[in-house]
Amino acid sequence: MINLVRMDLYRLLKSKSVYICLAILLATSVLCFWIVWMFDTPEGNESAARIGMSAITEIGVPGTLLINYDTLHMFREIAMDGGAYISLFGIVIVLFFCSDYNSGFMKNIMSLHRRRWKYIASKLITAGILDFCYLALHFGICMLLNVLFHNLVPFAPAGDTLSYLCLTWTVTMGFAALLLLICTVTRSNGAGILATILLGSGILVLLVSYITSLFGINQWAYYTLYYNHSQAPYTYNAIGDFKGYAVGAGFLVLYAVISAVTLARKDI
Amino acid sequence: MEKDTGKQNMLAVETLALTKTYKGKAAVSHLNMKVQEGAIYGFIGRNGAGKSTTLKMLCGLARPTEGEIRLFGKSANDPVTVRRVGCLIESAGLYPHMTARQNAVMKAKCMGLTDPKAVDRVLEATGMAGAGTKKVKLFSMGMKQRLGIALALLGNPDLLVLDEPINGLDPEGVREIRQLIQTLNEEGKTFIISSHILGELSKLSTHYGIIKNGILVEQLTREELAQNCADYFRVEVDDVRRALPLITESLPDVMAEVCDNRNIRLYGLTEGSALNRLLIENRVQVYSSGFHHMDLEDYFLARMDDTARQGSSNNKTIK
Repeated sequence: MINLVRMDLYRLLKSKSVYICLAILLATSVLCFWIVWMFDTPEGNESAARIGMSAITEIGVPGTLLINYDTLHMFREIAMDGGAYISLFGIVIVLFFCSDYNSGFMKNIMSLHRRRWKYIASKLITAGILDFCYLALHFGICMLLNVLFHNLVPFAPAGDTLSYLCLTWTVTMGFAALLLLICTVTRSNGAGILATILLGSGILVLLVSYITSLFGINQWAYYTLYYNHSQAPYTYNAIGDFKGYAVGAGFLVLYAVISAVTLARKDI
Repeated sequence: MEKDTGKQNMLAVETLALTKTYKGKAAVSHLNMKVQEGAIYGFIGRNGAGKSTTLKMLCGLARPTEGEIRLFGKSANDPVTVRRVGCLIESAGLYPHMTARQNAVMKAKCMGLTDPKAVDRVLEATGMAGAGTKKVKLFSMGMKQRLGIALALLGNPDLLVLDEPINGLDPEGVREIRQLIQTLNEEGKTFIISSHILGELSKLSTHYGIIKNGILVEQLTREELAQNCADYFRVEVDDVRRALPLITESLPDVMAEVCDNRNIRLYGLTEGSALNRLLIENRVQVYSSGFHHMDLEDYFLARMDDTARQGSSNNKTIK
């Protein structure tokens, strides 16, 4: 399995989509920080006026937009709450998972590794490493941007930051396992990307939740990956805050097992 | 072709009643294949006969519904034995956005190969060293096949399973791959090769397996094939029913085989003019006659016709 992970990491490093999606995430962060800076600081207002964006200075009073915000809030607003991170991460891993099938390289892998659960495990480990790198890089860049923009917001406590990033990693890994299952069943980029958009942005959960709420049976929505991702607590308050970890880990194991069983039953 | 006589009795591949069904329909049925170590086993059959399904099962890409596969006397799932097998099934599975070398490095990493020169060796052996930095999406079909063979050779496997390896290759490429297979076979490697280019296969194979409708109808050696493909004299007449008694009475040592209501094949005949004269004198009209030699293609087609006639399902194994 270590060999498979090594192989996957090698391919990941050679894959353009990894860098393109990372660049989109980072560019979004730069853009957000820049706009907020122009809107919410006197220096930013002046700069906006100089480049002909004086309308932005007329919207509100500088220093009022980011009250009670810290770096963690900024990070969530930019990447997480709109589903940008999960969608881009999902697209990268769907392309990564499906290319084994689309290229036919799967034949080379499966002829050597006949215990197919190892393949599933290696893919999830690789996705986990990518998820970690994306989160760390993205958050790191947000911290750096905050410094570059003269400490636009205060830094969040390290414990809260770490706790939030760990929870996000766990939930997004549950999501990655779901996408791996979809790719294993359909072997299609299109199906995987469609699922990423529908599930990552929460459209599907919100729609089904709305329909089931009409019948008073929408409690299930609290145990979805989307809910636990979008409603992740900023800071630890009670034991119930561990629910997100349990949901993420539970789905990760469940989807991984179903994927392994599916792959073992299907011919390549 | 088998240099190491000690290997002749050892089996590289043995399948025991290997069966694969799709939705209740048998793609491969109770297949008992035996491939000796050091052999080049030509696996022949029409489209949809079950060749690729069999080869996929040997390579672990399809799960047998029933039966067993033994590779070098061990279970096909034994992790050490699996590494002794290199595969090229149907098209070469390659990442198009990566270079030839990167694809080979990927396979090497997948195998856990630590020798950095292993990749260069197989690229050189298949004539791909010069194209190592070129992206696979820019490759011709033939170059992809060569790279597929290069990947199959990684790890120096003892058994190579090649499904249509010369597909898309130009004549020069075909010759190079043939020479490569012969060289590797002389080094002791066993090959199972499926191909529709029977002329090419007959230049390589030491053993043959003929599959029809998922049933292995025959396994034979090159020598047995040569014996079965012996010269024959074919005579086309207006009435076989009148010609045949004349032939069998006047030529008792010759074996006659009626092909259809106009054609008779005679095995063991050395001279044809006397027979023509005999038939004409007895008012049997002779439309054409002459000596022929069956090649692998003729033999294969004849076997296909035979089994169609007989509805045969017997598996004959090499003695």
